[in-house]
Amino acid sequence: MSSWEVKTIAQRAAEAMPESVLAGAGYVLLAVGFAAAFMALMGMALIYAERKVAAHFQCRLGPMRVGPHGIFQTVADTIKLLFKEDIVPSQSDKLLHLFAPYLSMMATLLALLVLPMSPVVQIADMNIGVLYVTAVTGFGVLGVLLAGWSSNNKWSLLGAMRAGAQIISYEVSATMALLVVVMFSGSMQLSKIVESQAEGWWIWRAPVIGLVSFVIFLIASLAEISRTPFDLPEGESELTAGFHTEYSGLRFAMFFLAEFINMFIVAGMAATLFLGGWMPFHIGGFDTFNSVMDLLPPGAWFSLKSGLVVFLIMWFRWTFPRLRVDQLMKLEWKILLPIGFVNLFAAAASVVFGWYFFPIR
Amino acid sequence: MVVSESNQVVAPPIQRGGFFSNLATGLKSLLKGMGITFHYFSRPSTVVTQQYPENRATLKMFDRYRMRLSLPHDENGFHKCTACTICEQACPNSSIRIVSRKGAVTNKTELDRFIWRMDSCTFCNACVVACPFSCLKMSGDFECSVYDKSLLVFNLTRYAGPTSTVLMKVTDPQERAKMWEPRDVYSGPVPLRGTAVPGGGRTLGAPEPVKASAPVAAPTPAPATAPAASATALAVEEEGGKK
Repeated sequence: MSSWEVKTIAQRAAEAMPESVLAGAGYVLLAVGFAAAFMALMGMALIYAERKVAAHFQCRLGPMRVGPHGIFQTVADTIKLLFKEDIVPSQSDKLLHLFAPYLSMMATLLALLVLPMSPVVQIADMNIGVLYVTAVTGFGVLGVLLAGWSSNNKWSLLGAMRAGAQIISYEVSATMALLVVVMFSGSMQLSKIVESQAEGWWIWRAPVIGLVSFVIFLIASLAEISRTPFDLPEGESELTAGFHTEYSGLRFAMFFLAEFINMFIVAGMAATLFLGGWMPFHIGGFDTFNSVMDLLPPGAWFSLKSGLVVFLIMWFRWTFPRLRVDQLMKLEWKILLPIGFVNLFAAAASVVFGWYFFPIR
Repeated sequence: MVVSESNQVVAPPIQRGGFFSNLATGLKSLLKGMGITFHYFSRPSTVVTQQYPENRATLKMFDRYRMRLSLPHDENGFHKCTACTICEQACPNSSIRIVSRKGAVTNKTELDRFIWRMDSCTFCNACVVACPFSCLKMSGDFECSVYDKSLLVFNLTRYAGPTSTVLMKVTDPQERAKMWEPRDVYSGPVPLRGTAVPGGGRTLGAPEPVKASAPVAAPTPAPATAPAASATALAVEEEGGKK
């Protein structure tokens, strides 16, 4: 079986720095440019995909006019948003109002930094990767709360309060599901977690436990990024647009972009933790099968897996109805959390006694 | 709703437990919903969107679609309208005006012009329902934009004369031709009379020119503005002016 050598852009920069400062700075610039370009392009691609997928779920065609099958529709929309007037309400808390979208965007960007997309396409790989992702995604709620508070609008504030309650509640379950994988792979470092799945992915290697924690993680993450069926903070039928009611132009675009990149990050994290990340589909011991699977490069595997999860998230959005506020809380505290706890204990037992396929120690 | 013996509505008993069965039914119904949505997602044939300007040549409107009112003419070019004015009375906003005349040969009331004002029509279908001879139809022709509102006043009949039943009883074509004379879409009480339209070409939204489907039994077509008809037309025009 071929072994993968993980080399992040941060490592390359650190190696190049002692020899020439310019080369090190070049790697830093590369990382910055990659993150920025990735966010912009992935945002546009995801918005286009969302519109097309939504249309076909509803027996429509979606954008068809701008370019072949409307592929330049989101480009046109982005240009329009860039040129729109940025309206700041006169009674708002101006400093916070201007600052909130950046905070929301920053959370997304920071989480993107550690996502291992392939052995070489990863900006930084820290030994507390999982903890770091959990921590920085918490910034998002801060941006949402600030946006809702500073807008001085009842819809915004209600949406922000809902977002706060929802994100903080569901963070517990999401972390509980993450801990299962951390226990199994014995590391918080994302590249190590990926490499621990060289014999098989955690979703099936830990029977039932992996699947349950994958489902819990998916549900809780959907609630954290406020996707339908958990879009109460925006809830357009109840709160006009929730926390970003008073935003327009570029600042609205930032919230919008952050929302879609968050969806990608959730998909990427779910793929990394439960579906093997960039690791090809391997079954321990089946060497011929594994080498056939290795023909597809790791980057393609990662794109495939995260694309699949993104499609799943969109599928949820266009099928499920929105939850009520009390149902939302009931789902978390009375259903997901007990199941998560039991699952965590079962995972601990199965790690101790080796009740899973291809034990790693 | 539970009704007790004292005939008062009481709350149903609270059922505790059932955690796993609730979970199972919930997941099952969610998966069922996802199955339904995926059915539509995976079948492009279920898409109902019409790419209108592109598929203009092949677009077929639906039976229940209501747009321009039409008075269908049969293969001989004759219609079944007896000028009974029931549609005119049924029309809630007076968008229909039946102009009748005394037939020169039959000496009975027959249709001269069927004037329909699209600009005031609400496409309520009352005229089609009311017609005792089923000779009206809402057609699917929806491209009706014009630059002048007066071009939305149409004459639906292509000839002035009796119904096809009466006409087809007369076997001799020469005799039959004496019983009717042609009318076109804009002849009669229309200010522009369908002549000059800004932009030129075929009158936008107007029905096909009369020539294309003129009655086949016409050996010598009479001029469109027949002297017999112009008096009636002028009378209608004056009446319209008073409104």
